[in-house]
Amino acid sequence: MARGIVTFSSDRCKACGLCILFCPKQIMGFDKTSINILGYHPVGLIKPEDCNGCGICAMMCPDLVIEVGRE
Amino acid sequence: MQRVLMKGNEAIAEGAIRAGCRGFFGYPITPSSEIAEYMARKMPTIGGVFVQAESELAAINMVYGGAATGARVMTASSGPGISLKQEGISFLAEGELPCLIVDICRGGPGLGGIQPSQADYFQATRGGGHGDYYIIVLAPSSAQEMMDLTMLGFELADKHRTPVMLMAEGTLGNLIEPVLVRDEVTEFVDKPWAITGCLGRQPNIVNTLHMPVEQLQTRNQHLTEKYQAIRSQEIRSEEFLTEDADLILVAYGIMARIAKKAVMNARSLGIKTGLIRPITLWPYPYGVVNKIAQTCKAMVSIEISTTGQMIEDIKLATAGKVPIHYIGEIARTPNPEEITQQLLVIAAKEGLI
Repeated sequence: MARGIVTFSSDRCKACGLCILFCPKQIMGFDKTSINILGYHPVGLIKPEDCNGCGICAMMCPDLVIEVGRE
Repeated sequence: MQRVLMKGNEAIAEGAIRAGCRGFFGYPITPSSEIAEYMARKMPTIGGVFVQAESELAAINMVYGGAATGARVMTASSGPGISLKQEGISFLAEGELPCLIVDICRGGPGLGGIQPSQADYFQATRGGGHGDYYIIVLAPSSAQEMMDLTMLGFELADKHRTPVMLMAEGTLGNLIEPVLVRDEVTEFVDKPWAITGCLGRQPNIVNTLHMPVEQLQTRNQHLTEKYQAIRSQEIRSEEFLTEDADLILVAYGIMARIAKKAVMNARSLGIKTGLIRPITLWPYPYGVVNKIAQTCKAMVSIEISTTGQMIEDIKLATAGKVPIHYIGEIARTPNPEEITQQLLVIAAKEGLI
């Protein structure tokens, strides 16, 4: 199965949570340990090893925070 | 707390209900009508009062009556309607009656259009009606803040016995965003001055006519002291990347959100930019703007208005310390890239790049 590599431009994240809602593998969440320049907990991968690189999160993101590549 | 998708206007209405508002008096006008629609649906189910008045003048005087009984009441309109309400607002200020007036701005002058605008700034922050008075003016910049500042507005109104205005652009009123629905307010301040039927006490009188010279002077002196207290206690503003900035943007409402993105764009292009967002338009954060003017090299006022209105407050605050530029247009909100382009021009002019 394909594996995804996800990169985040975290400073643009406004924590709307759309990617978390639409991730079919349910592996995304807010990074409660950091606060970005806009004052939000930015989104991140909770289980990066489970990502299959479908790219739905990147398609949902209104702020172009997420880029998905495939291994 | 529940997270729901809400229109900015609906967030105001729901926030008002949660703040204990049980009286809405209004006359519909685009782009504020959803507030009245929401209230018309909700008020009858929670024991509140919704009246679609015969005119804006009637509505604001119903607010006067409702507020005089100590109830939390409000009205909502847009620029042309707020102009009609000015007489009532002046009376509310003199009667010291707490209430919330919502102005979802559209372009003017005259009937103007229904596109977004911030050109009601002077009207809102300079009192608007006749006589020596100010009202607190809050400027939200998201649907969430539409709810939060509505609730804060009622609190400030009761605390200082003053009308409070919530001023937002039509864009915000009609923008649908996720909103964390706040808990109902359960604690209210006492209103011993309210007209509630004088069983067992001396009658309370709410009056705005003071014919004797001394009475009028005492009255105005009292109001002036109250405004001074509000100035010292209630100024709110937000700063974004201002510490090391050479070029400071000043914007409020939805423009502040767009300006924030422009600040990040400009920083990636090597211009040290920052943003001040006044949350209270009156009292204006003169102190904050003045403090930052000591360390920055130039300021830019960004408004949805062609003449530039808030820029006068920035000039008052900076007292000639730094050059002040203006970016503004009416009836549409520029995108961050357009603002970034204009910032590049300004930065070049000021020798910042």
